[in-house]
Amino acid sequence: MTNTNLDRRQLLAGTAALAGMTLGVRPLAAQDGGDIVLGGSIPLTGVFAFAGVGIHAGIQDYLKILNDGGGIKGRKIKYVAEDTAYKVDASVAAFNKITSQEKVSLYYGDSTGFSKTINPELDRRGSMIMAGASFATELNDPKKFPLQFMAGPDYTEMFGILLRYIAKEKPGARVAFVYSDSEFGRDPIAPSEAVAKELKLSVVEKIVTPPGSVDVSTEVLKLRRANPDFTIFHGYVLAPIPEFVAQAKQMGMKSQFMGTFWTMDNSTVQRMGDSADGFMGVMPYRYYYDKDGSSPMLEKIRQMRPEYQSTGYLQGFVTAMLMAEAVKRTLDAGKELTGVNLKAGLNSIKDFDTGGLFGVPISIPGNSVPVGRIYRFDAKAKQMQPASDWIKL
Amino acid sequence: MDTLFLAEVTLAGLGAGALYALTGVAFVLIYKATRVVNLAIGEILMLGGYAFLGFAAGLGLSPWLALPLAIAAGGALGWLVERALIRPMLGESPISVFMVTIGLGSILAGVVQLGWGADPLRLPEFMPSTPVFIGEAYLAPKVAIGFVAAAVVIGLFLALFRFSRGGVALKATAADQGAAYSVGIDVPRVFSVAWILACATAAGAGVLIGAIGGISPTMGVFGLSVLVVVIIGGLDSIAGALVGGLLIGLVEALAGAFLGGEFKLVVTFALLLVLLMVRPYGLFGTHEIERL
Repeated sequence: MTNTNLDRRQLLAGTAALAGMTLGVRPLAAQDGGDIVLGGSIPLTGVFAFAGVGIHAGIQDYLKILNDGGGIKGRKIKYVAEDTAYKVDASVAAFNKITSQEKVSLYYGDSTGFSKTINPELDRRGSMIMAGASFATELNDPKKFPLQFMAGPDYTEMFGILLRYIAKEKPGARVAFVYSDSEFGRDPIAPSEAVAKELKLSVVEKIVTPPGSVDVSTEVLKLRRANPDFTIFHGYVLAPIPEFVAQAKQMGMKSQFMGTFWTMDNSTVQRMGDSADGFMGVMPYRYYYDKDGSSPMLEKIRQMRPEYQSTGYLQGFVTAMLMAEAVKRTLDAGKELTGVNLKAGLNSIKDFDTGGLFGVPISIPGNSVPVGRIYRFDAKAKQMQPASDWIKL
Repeated sequence: MDTLFLAEVTLAGLGAGALYALTGVAFVLIYKATRVVNLAIGEILMLGGYAFLGFAAGLGLSPWLALPLAIAAGGALGWLVERALIRPMLGESPISVFMVTIGLGSILAGVVQLGWGADPLRLPEFMPSTPVFIGEAYLAPKVAIGFVAAAVVIGLFLALFRFSRGGVALKATAADQGAAYSVGIDVPRVFSVAWILACATAAGAGVLIGAIGGISPTMGVFGLSVLVVVIIGGLDSIAGALVGGLLIGLVEALAGAFLGGEFKLVVTFALLLVLLMVRPYGLFGTHEIERL
C-alpha cells in the first residue's frame, strides 16, 4: 500500500527484464502484468440495498487507495460490479456475465444462497476466491468451501462472542434467542445452544418470527413469560426489533437486548428510537467514528469521506483489503493467481494489522476472522460505544 | 393452561387482525366497485407510511396534521391511478388490469427507494406509549390504537354503504353496472370514488403499520398477506374483510404462541385451502353464477 514511485519503476523494470528473459515462454499469470479483476454481485437495490450501497462504496474506496498507491507490484485491481437486487438468480447472471468478460481472480457475492450456488463452479474453475456479505456458519468450512472466506466471524462465532461476554458479566444467566424464520435467522441457533450450554448459560426461550412479520405482540408475550436476562436478536436488520424492545420495556422487562452484525450499523440502531438506549451487539470492526487506539486506515477513510460511513461500508472495505493482501502474498511468493494459491495466501495471514479496522491483529486460519467486540448504544452520544475488550475465539 | 397468557395472546391476535381487516377493506372497496384485484395496495400502503414520514419528519409538521395529509395523499394517488391507468383499461381482460396493478406496485416501490433510499426507517413516535391493561392482560398501546382506528373506519364504511347515497350507488354498480348506468348512476365517478377511498384507507393503514413495524420499500409485502384475508372473507364483502382479518390475526397469534412462529404461515394457508374447498367465494363473498 505504501509503494513509492521508485518502487514501482524498479518493479516495472524488473518485470520487463524478466519478460525479456522468458521471451517465447508462456508467461505466468503472476507476471503478465494486466489488471487483477475483482468481480461483484452487489445488492444495490432490493431488501439488502441498505448494506449493498455501503459495501459498493467501501470496496471502491479501498481499491482507490490501493491503486493510487501503485497497486500490487504495479498491477491495479479493477472492480467490476453488477446490481443483483439481492436475488440469487440475478447474482448468478451477474457472475456469469462478469466472468465471461473478464479474467476474474476475486469475487464478492451478496448472499448465502449465491455463495452456496456458485462454490461448486468456483472449485471447477479454480481461478478465483470469493467472499461476500454472508457470514453463514455453513460457509465457514474450508473443506466444503475451499475457495470461500468471510471478512469477520461467522454468525455462530458472533453468538459465541456475545455468549462469552454474557457468561463473564453474569454467570449462569438466562438467555433467549429471537430469530427470523429464514436461512439467515436459523443459521447460528442450534450450534449456539450448545455453546451456551458449555458456558453454563441456560437458553430459556427460542422465538422464531415469520419473515416480514409486522406485529410481534404474541412473541413479546412469550418472551415475558420466559423472563430472560439477555435476549439476542438474529436474522433481522431493523424491524421488528424496535417494537419488540419497546413492548418488552412497557411490560417492565429488564432483559438486555442484543444483536448481530447486520443490525449493528449506528444509523440502524439510532432508528430504534427510544428502544435504542442500551442496545448491545457484536461488531468485528471499529465504527467510523471510533477514536480509541490507533487506526490509521480509519483516519484515511474519514479524510476521504467526512460523513459517517456504515458498517456495510467497512465490511466491503475490509473484504477488499483482505483480498488484496491475498493477491499480494501470492504474487510475493511468485505463484500464479489461482484460487488455491490465493486462498493459501489468505490463510498465511497471521497477526495482520488491518490499519486498525479490526481492533486487534487478525489471523485467518480457515474461512473466517473470529474476532469481535461488544458495543452498547449510548443515547446521549447517539453512538455505539465499546462495552468490552476485543474478544478472539 | 395459563388463562392470562391466552387472554393476552387473543388480544394481540385481534389487534393484528384489525390491521389486516383495515387493509383488507382497501382491497374490497376496489374489487366491489370495479372488479379489479388491486395488487398494488401493499405499495400504496407503503407510500402512505412514507408520505407521513415526509410530512412529519421532512416538513416538520405535527403528526396529527401529517396523518390526514398522508391519507389525503393516498386518496389523491388513488384518483390519479384510476384516471390515468385503470380507466383506459376498461373493457380489457381482467388479467391485463391485474398486471397493470402489479406493475404499478413495482413502480411505487422503486420511486420510494429513489426518494428515501433503501434503508428501513422508523416513523416519528406520535402515539402514546402507556401500556393498556384490560383486566390484568397487557395490550401493546400501538396495537390497541390500531384496533380502535380500524374498528372506527370499518364501522364508518359499513354505515356509508347502508345509509348514504354514494354507498348505495356503489352497491348498485357492484351488483350490475349496466343497470346502474340506466338508472342514472355516474358509474365512472363511482369507480373514481372507490379508488380514492380505498387508497386513502390503505395510506392510513400504512401509517398505523409503519408506526408499529417501521417502513421500508419492501413493506408492500404486507399487502400480499392481506390478500389471504380478503380471499377468506370474500373479495367483495366489507364485513368479510373484518371477519377474515380478525380470524387470521387470531389464528396466527394462537399458532405463534402455542406451536411456534414457523407455524404461523403454515396454519394460515392450510386454513385458506380448507376454506376455499368448502366455500370457494370466501365466507361472505357473492356466489356468482355464470350462465351461458
